Amino acid sequence: MASSLTLANVDAGYGAVRVLEDVSLTVGAGETVALLGTNGNGKSTLMKSIMGIVRPSAGRITATIDDATHELVGRSTEEIVDLGIAFVPEGRRLFPKQTVTENLLLGAYRPTARSAIARNLDFCFETFPRLKERARQLAGSMSGGEQQMLALARALMSSPRILLIDEPSVGLAPLLVSRTIDKIKELKEGFNLTVLMAEQNFTQAVRIADRGYVIVHGRIAFEGESAEALNNNELIREFYLGA
Amino acid sequence: MDASLDLLLNAVISGLLLGGFYAAVSIGVAISFGMLDIVNIAHPGFILLGSYVAYFANTVLGMDPILAAVIALPAFYALGALVYQIYYIAFERRQDQSLGGLSFFFGLLFITEVGLVLIFGVDYRLVQARYIGPSLNLGWVELPLRLFVPFLVSMVMVVGLQLFLSRSFLGRAIEAVAQDQLALRLMAANPTRIKRVAFGLSFATAAIAGAILIIIQPVEPSIGREYIGRVFAICVLGGLGSFSGMVIAAVTLGVVESLTATFFGPSWAPAVSFGVLLVTLAVRPSGILGR
Ligand SMILES: Nc1ncnc2c1ncn2[C@@H]1O[C@H](COP(=O)(O)OP(=O)(O)O)[C@@H](O)[C@H]1O
Ligand SMILES: [Mg+2]
Repeated sequence: MASSLTLANVDAGYGAVRVLEDVSLTVGAGETVALLGTNGNGKSTLMKSIMGIVRPSAGRITATIDDATHELVGRSTEEIVDLGIAFVPEGRRLFPKQTVTENLLLGAYRPTARSAIARNLDFCFETFPRLKERARQLAGSMSGGEQQMLALARALMSSPRILLIDEPSVGLAPLLVSRTIDKIKELKEGFNLTVLMAEQNFTQAVRIADRGYVIVHGRIAFEGESAEALNNNELIREFYLGA
Repeated sequence: MDASLDLLLNAVISGLLLGGFYAAVSIGVAISFGMLDIVNIAHPGFILLGSYVAYFANTVLGMDPILAAVIALPAFYALGALVYQIYYIAFERRQDQSLGGLSFFFGLLFITEVGLVLIFGVDYRLVQARYIGPSLNLGWVELPLRLFVPFLVSMVMVVGLQLFLSRSFLGRAIEAVAQDQLALRLMAANPTRIKRVAFGLSFATAAIAGAILIIIQPVEPSIGREYIGRVFAICVLGGLGSFSGMVIAAVTLGVVESLTATFFGPSWAPAVSFGVLLVTLAVRPSGILGR
């Protein structure tokens, strides 16, 4: 069954400050879409708008989950997650004083996820053996890379159909970045997910993305229909590849 | 047996039993203050409300005080949920918890006390039950049932709540709610609802603690104040958010107070218990089992 996400002409911001202007974007069923842009261009604001953390002042956001379509604007964050959209936010937002296992079990709070808890936990521990070793450790005492893995695993514990990830590479050593990106691909395939991933690390993101958007000053400046199209784009050369 | 050894043993035993009672009194604050960051200084007042419910059911209906408390649990839970909802709308939502919230709970303490005075007067009240009076004689030590039954009830309540918090989805969300509310939303949980349930539970423990209190000693409406300092000391000493730490702290304080009262006189007990608090916090600022 298919799950996808569409933003149509979305404006959003904080109080009087408008950040997103007329943003339209789609993530098709089973796709991995990269949202590319350097710091401060509105990637996180876009993700927060989808999740109901920032309320758009105009435009529509719709999600199709297993062939049923829902309007997201106006819904609370917890309702949106309950529909089957999981979000790994900036800064990971783990529960630092809870253990790895407790964090994962909290991920399965969503009623629909509770019956799948054993299967999801097995899958997470299989994909991230390190988490199994550290099952009883407090989340706050783990390294940045381990925390990122836990954040991803915790999001998957809610049995989502759509996964949003905000800058998974932030704060990780280069070797860990490519490993994390590989894991995202693995999880996406294992759970049959539709993924929207915000990244500054262009080279890494494009490795697993089917398509991508470049966001500049809150507007979609370029839409790349394939990884090659992104690679050959002027804007990207300018911003990322220094050419 | 040596007389002073006998004295020591009995002091330790009654200290343990007293500690069990302290745990029942503190567990509500361990939830509200330790897990929800709500400085509920009115909790001892709510416990007194529990005492008078038990007193009323006992004298008017001839009911066992503990049974009365169990029957009153849903009403206490609902009252707690209501108190939280008012607190949330008036203070928490406006980010005015610290001073506004403190005066709110101080006001509730005052209203509860005055209400109890108006209804029941200022005289000491007590309850009747078969276990008030006799002791279990274990040969080398006397176990007064008046303390032993409350100890058991308290432990059942603590263990029950601990299991609920660690084993249920709702319980785990309660343990996490103070750490990051947005993160909890991202787990599909509504933090306000979670806190309302938790505060309802915290309030409900006052029904049990109140019944225990009036079994152990006669009560008058303002007696709860004696416990405010001790209860917060126990929660901080145990490590905020940790029930097992809270129980260890409650029992430690009970034993230390009992020993001090036996060998140096009761007036030294509070000084020694706060001494224990200060020393522990100097060595372990997060408390005995704080995370
Ligand atoms: N909570 C906030 N309040 C006001 N302005 C914000 C807030 N968060 C982000 N901004 C502003 O919105 C713009 C876009 O930020 P953000 O969406 O975080 O970009 P990115 O994730 O691409 O780095 C920036 O100019 C930033 O200063
Ligand atoms: Mg960002």
